[in-house]
Amino acid sequence: MSINPHPELPEFDYIRPASLAEASQFLAQHAGHARPLSGGTDIFVRMRDGIWHDQYLVDVKHLDGTNDLTFTPTGLTIGAGVNMNRIIASPEVQQHYPLLAQACRRVASYQLRTRATVVGNICNASPAGDSIGACIAFGGTLKVHGLNGFRDEPLQGFCLSPGKTRLQPGDIVTAVHLPPPPPGSAGTYLKLGRNTWGDLAIVGVTVLAAPDPTAASGYRFRILLASVAPIPLEAVAAQEALAATPLGEPAFKEAARLAAQACSPIDDVRGSARYRKAMVRKHTQLALLQTWQKLTR
Amino acid sequence: MATHRISLTVNGSTELLDVPSQMTLLQMLRDKLALTGTKNGCSAGECGACTVLLDGEPVNSCLVLAVECQGASVVTVEGLAKDGVLDPIQETIVDHGGVQCGFCTPGMLISSRALLDRNPDPSEDDIREALVGNLCRCTGYNRIVDAVQDSARRQAGKA
Amino acid sequence: MSKHTPPNIPHPIGDSVPRVDAQEKVTGAAIFADDIQFGPGLLYARIKRSPHPHALIKRIDVSRAKALPGVKAVVTGEDFPGLTGLYLQDRHIFCRGRARYVGDPVAGVAASSEAIAEQAVTLIDVEYEPLPGVFDPEFGATPEAPLLHPDLGDYKVMNFIFPQPGSNVSNHFKIRKGNVESAWAQCEAIVERTYRIPHIQHVPIETHIATARVEQDGKVTLWGSSQSPFAQRSLIATALGVSPSDVQVIAPYVGGGFGCKAGVSMEALAVAIATQVRGRPVKLRLTREEEFYTAFVRQGLVAHFKMGCDKEGRLLAMQNRLYWDAGAYTEYGVNITRASGYSSSGPYDVPNVSTDSYCVYTNHPVGGPMRGFGMPELHTGLEQCIDELAEQIHMDKVAFRRLNCIQGGDTIVTGMTMHPTGLNECLDKTAAAIGWGHKDPPSAPNKRRGKGIALMWKAPAMPPNPGSSAKVALNEDGTVTVSVGGQEIGQGSFTIAAQVAAGALGVPIENVRVATPLDTNYSPYEWQTVASRLTWSMGNAVAAAARDARQQILELVAKAWNEKIEDLDIVDGNVISYKSEETISLNKIAIYGIALPNDQGWIGGPVLGRGSFMPTYVTGLDPETGQGPRAVVHYTTGAQAVEVEVDMDTGKVQILRGVSAFDVGKAINPNMVRGQMEGGFVQGMSTALFESLQLKEGVLQNPSFVDYRIATATDVPKDIQSIIVEVPQDDGPWGARGIGEHSMVPTVAAIANAIFDAIGIRVGAPPYTAEKVYLAMLDAGLVE
Ligand SMILES: Cc1cc2nc3c(=O)[nH]c(=O)nc-3n(C[C@H](O)[C@H](O)[C@H](O)COP(=O)(O)OP(=O)(O)OC[C@H]3O[C@@H](n4cnc5c(N)ncnc54)[C@H](O)[C@@H]3O)c2cc1C
Ligand code: FES
Ligand code: FES
Repeated sequence: MSINPHPELPEFDYIRPASLAEASQFLAQHAGHARPLSGGTDIFVRMRDGIWHDQYLVDVKHLDGTNDLTFTPTGLTIGAGVNMNRIIASPEVQQHYPLLAQACRRVASYQLRTRATVVGNICNASPAGDSIGACIAFGGTLKVHGLNGFRDEPLQGFCLSPGKTRLQPGDIVTAVHLPPPPPGSAGTYLKLGRNTWGDLAIVGVTVLAAPDPTAASGYRFRILLASVAPIPLEAVAAQEALAATPLGEPAFKEAARLAAQACSPIDDVRGSARYRKAMVRKHTQLALLQTWQKLTR
Repeated sequence: MATHRISLTVNGSTELLDVPSQMTLLQMLRDKLALTGTKNGCSAGECGACTVLLDGEPVNSCLVLAVECQGASVVTVEGLAKDGVLDPIQETIVDHGGVQCGFCTPGMLISSRALLDRNPDPSEDDIREALVGNLCRCTGYNRIVDAVQDSARRQAGKA
Repeated sequence: MSKHTPPNIPHPIGDSVPRVDAQEKVTGAAIFADDIQFGPGLLYARIKRSPHPHALIKRIDVSRAKALPGVKAVVTGEDFPGLTGLYLQDRHIFCRGRARYVGDPVAGVAASSEAIAEQAVTLIDVEYEPLPGVFDPEFGATPEAPLLHPDLGDYKVMNFIFPQPGSNVSNHFKIRKGNVESAWAQCEAIVERTYRIPHIQHVPIETHIATARVEQDGKVTLWGSSQSPFAQRSLIATALGVSPSDVQVIAPYVGGGFGCKAGVSMEALAVAIATQVRGRPVKLRLTREEEFYTAFVRQGLVAHFKMGCDKEGRLLAMQNRLYWDAGAYTEYGVNITRASGYSSSGPYDVPNVSTDSYCVYTNHPVGGPMRGFGMPELHTGLEQCIDELAEQIHMDKVAFRRLNCIQGGDTIVTGMTMHPTGLNECLDKTAAAIGWGHKDPPSAPNKRRGKGIALMWKAPAMPPNPGSSAKVALNEDGTVTVSVGGQEIGQGSFTIAAQVAAGALGVPIENVRVATPLDTNYSPYEWQTVASRLTWSMGNAVAAAARDARQQILELVAKAWNEKIEDLDIVDGNVISYKSEETISLNKIAIYGIALPNDQGWIGGPVLGRGSFMPTYVTGLDPETGQGPRAVVHYTTGAQAVEVEVDMDTGKVQILRGVSAFDVGKAINPNMVRGQMEGGFVQGMSTALFESLQLKEGVLQNPSFVDYRIATATDVPKDIQSIIVEVPQDDGPWGARGIGEHSMVPTVAAIANAIFDAIGIRVGAPPYTAEKVYLAMLDAGLVE
């Protein structure tokens, strides 16, 4: 057996294309043997572990606008090369999308987040990705550059299974765009790891809510669950219940029960399915309560 | 195997190097420049022993390619002292007994330096959070946390 | 020294001087094993390892690997028939015919790069015949279990280890003190419990690194991250069939050891491969994943306890059956079995004790020494049973311990008379500091608070006669250089050596240098850097060497000044006469001696003090009863208490406060003593809350820091208090004894006891992860 197929990184070629067009072309030409490189924090680990065998890593961090973090009346655009620490430190993010900053802050360590990107987190499509839930909850879309130029790809439904997304050969996500947050919104990200900080999620719960007169309860909630299903899981039944019933602790408790019912966790080294189910319930309830306190403050 | 010619500054001095694509910044520092103060404890971003400053921000040098550092400025533990004068964090970590085996120390110092650069007056919780990516098996951390606090105080006194 | 009363304690003994290695370590200058530069001639080794926990090796084909360009050598067990091992020689360097754990080395490659070596490893074809395995020590000890070492009866073994050939039991240690059977009837309360302690690992942040070069004439040089250069010299020589003096081990700073870099493990692989590429250095570096799979682990333990007390709370009897899950090779583990046996009463005065401690071969990773050497594993269950006994007779747990804990003059479990010890003082101070008997309200409605306390004792576990030696040389500038063979692994031994030399000689601490790195060709002999024995044993050797140098200096000056030695002293680096009030600085007499008046010649010359120490009084124990006059050199005792808060929503246990008190005899450097207490507490806490090697049919499930979590800066209580108690050791330097390991011995038990205090549940086997605590609360109906 080989404990380490590669004690350090295996051989590959680092490609630094001059333009997005060139990058997409290259990636499409070498489909199956090349992948886009943002921070590399997932890529390098998987290549060293012998899980990925790409011949080419195509650096996209410096291409047209991928390094920009911009906030305009149409929303927030996070370039693929923007690292998580920049997002956390951004005054605009702190003011308008505090949920995203909170989620990013729970990723690994400060030094890892100097490299790790939100776009990488999304494209990696790990069920444990901490920042994906917030991006979905805000109704994010991905700006994708492919062989046929730019297109928008909604985040909803983007992750297909662990590590699998809707991206096609040649596709490069240049940015993730979040529309302006709904007025009066508030959100919470709760992550349970084994350590107080720094672990991957045993369970992660993202809640975003905003007043909505069209909902019977007066509020619309979005709930996304990490590490309890093959993809970031939206707790639809719980969301519907919260739109329909008067809000308060009983409603949150019931929603939490529905959320737990919806998930299909597995046993792994971090936690058992049984514990995860229980923790989805506890954390959903707590996240709803904390969000509610922020909403009604 | 593609090699790339890169130039960068390391601890203030300019380097011109040929590096293969897959060479990490950590390997470049240790194997090409013999800057062995930066340690390898996992090669996978988990232990923080390899932490260096890249353009002023701390990174796990085991998860950065050397070729990605074209034009960058890198500071390692060897570059913390200026003109023979130790950085305050190097002094306080000794004063507080925050060094035992010393293997985590270079990474701890870099993470601490980076924290103090972005936040000259961190709370105790800020410090602990900033050091979460630096594992230490010897000290139990508290003395390192004390050292960072003391270092912040000393810097404030000087400013 | 301690015979003088009151002890005359010179400066800087007892002073918290800064570490002598600190400057190097904060500037990146300190050299560790992986930092040594070998130039372009360096070759890199990688190891082919068994994927099976237990299998016969039918065939190994290395031809494809050998043909790979860049490969310089491929070796297998065929090439190295010798057996090796510290207490029991049960280990080949590479497997011969049989693999016994997942990761067992089957073949090794040297190549011009690590990547080529690894590629070559994948080209080695091995045909295995998988065999049924042993994954539970109790099962392993039964006659039904597959036999892992059919040749056990032929292995060389030290005379205090008792293997049972024809079984998987490689040591059976017994205690029969008093009569347990008749004592049960007199007990008012009896507690009977089983604890399963998981395997854990040391996880030093520096993995194992070794570089070896073998010359044409067979001489071996090994550069390694090592706690035991001299033991390695001897063990490697045995394995290769060469003479120990033909092996040179050079050991720079160690980036954390905790036991896993004691004895020999992967270093032998590097040396073996190097024999096939003579003249070229070969480096073997364990990756973190390999470290998890193949470096020493702390053995698992299944412990059955039965203990009883009378209605006043006096402990009457204890019966322990300990099954050590010692792994594939037990060359070192056999002595953990012994040590846990001879200390199996815990730090208590118990008239009737019966213990059976079994070292059992399993198809798990190789058990080795880890900080505490069996004591944390033992105390984890034992100290919870003590709590339960106190509960049963409605006695306060501190009062119960105060009544029963060991005191000077007691006849301990092996029949030895206990030396003076400050355990009671440790207990009282710890209880006071944690606010025993007082319950603070929890910080939130969904939390519950509790306090727990536990005691410990531990003796250095080693052969009866492990020696230390030291040299103290005067330099021309009046400084002194101390040479020792004891390693600096973070615990501060070099600083202690410097302080002891400074104190015994009479020079300022700034004037003392410690010769580094350790090198078996130049450093004086030291058995091993283990067992918390250096401050005591090496300290004695350094003190003796410094006094020898001092005597030489005083004799010289007495002669030059025509005075009596009794009137002279060395103070602050100067020889002074209390009589003539003359003074001369050491730099005036070092190396060149003293000129006689009128150019009439010289007296003196280079001053070199030498000293050694070896305990001579440890006796054997009766194999049937474990009784004998003196089983060990001494015991360090202590207590720990914690306050915890359990989150009822998640099961997460937060340690709010920790208090430690240990009797160190004399704190040579109080700050470093407290550093050991804190670091050990946090390591113990980390094992209590997070750590276990998850082994499934012998296969490790969590071989990385992502999956095997240890405590981070955010998990540690801000409030950790460390209290030094000093009841002098009669043969320690200024009364000192060790503290390195002890601080993590009682921690798991103290935390478990506090969890019980908080939620009323004994969660059982550590680690007390949030999940385990939550599910226990769920099953008990405490949460919905
Ligand atoms: C020690 C450690 C701890 C970690 N802890 C956490 C944690 O707590 N929480 C968490 O969520 N994650 C964690 N991670 C995982 C990782 O850091 C994150 O997923 C990170 O956000 C990935 O971003 P990146 O830029 O480094 O991605 P990369 O590694 O560059 O890429 C990841 C994947 O996305 C693809 N990709 C990257 N950029 C693009 C693009 N522009 N267009 C198309 N595809 C692209 C890549 O090809 C690759 O398949 C951890 C990783 C490590 C090593
Ligand atoms: S070596 Fe880079 S984080 Fe461990
Ligand atoms: S001092 Fe040894 S790992 Fe931190």
